Amino acid sequence: MIEQNFNTDLITNFGPDKMLPDLAFAEMEPGWDCGGGTYKITKEEVEKFAKLMGDPNTGEKTVPVGMIYIYGLRICWDRKVFIDQAVRAGDKITFYNPAKIGDTVTTKLSISDKKEVTKEKDGKVKVTKFLYINMESLNQDGDKITDILMSFMLPKTMK
Amino acid sequence: MADFSSINVGDVLPSKSLSVDQDLINEYAQICGDYNTLHVDVEAMKDHPLFGGTIAHGTINVEPVLQAICDVQGTQWPVAGTTVDLQFRAPVKPGMTISSSLTVKEKLDDGLLCDMQINDQDGKPCVKGTVKIVAP
Repeated sequence: MIEQNFNTDLITNFGPDKMLPDLAFAEMEPGWDCGGGTYKITKEEVEKFAKLMGDPNTGEKTVPVGMIYIYGLRICWDRKVFIDQAVRAGDKITFYNPAKIGDTVTTKLSISDKKEVTKEKDGKVKVTKFLYINMESLNQDGDKITDILMSFMLPKTMK
Repeated sequence: MADFSSINVGDVLPSKSLSVDQDLINEYAQICGDYNTLHVDVEAMKDHPLFGGTIAHGTINVEPVLQAICDVQGTQWPVAGTTVDLQFRAPVKPGMTISSSLTVKEKLDDGLLCDMQINDQDGKPCVKGTVKIVAP
């Protein structure tokens, strides 16, 4: 394991005490508030990210595009949106306004949808549960930066 | 590359690549704060029954196509309304080089609809999906 140097001063968290792992699948209703947090975009982090990814954009006008995930990932962990043993199946990203150095990005997480897919093979019925979480990110002026709809295949043990 | 008028259905758009190693994964974890064992604990993952080692954050896998979209649009940030709809198909492991592939499927009034893949160095898809690239 590596020494953890993530700068926790960059983020805050908010939201209800009850988090996704506290819910049964039947309780995971669209619109349910998973909470969220803020992330302060600094020049230092932008330059580190651009260098790491080989992105020529070092943040003069907008942050490197791959940073759309950076300001939400830790918040997803802190808000327990990534349920243990759930498999990240995909994302749908929609771009709006660019993020910039100095922005404080607010990320809001909520259940968008859920579904159960039933398949029958060799006389056996297999039910797979999917959960869809929307990660909406806005800047300090309330302008939307991105929506990322994350889809998860839930573990078979999920009640 | 920002003039879409000369682009036709079937055209393959410029690609971007990324070489992934454990140092890159570790540094990504330091920047985003995601220290999931799957990504950063080399020792614990060594005998993992499914992966047999660490795997990159799924969000690293998407990086090449995000940069490629900006290149196609001639911008630093995707034009508003641009969408990426993707499914993760296979993990990316240290030592792999991944590349984006964008093929124009349809010309739209406001841009291009493309089939998208992110493939490993052997051409095996790690990510698949569609991208709507809005004209700048």
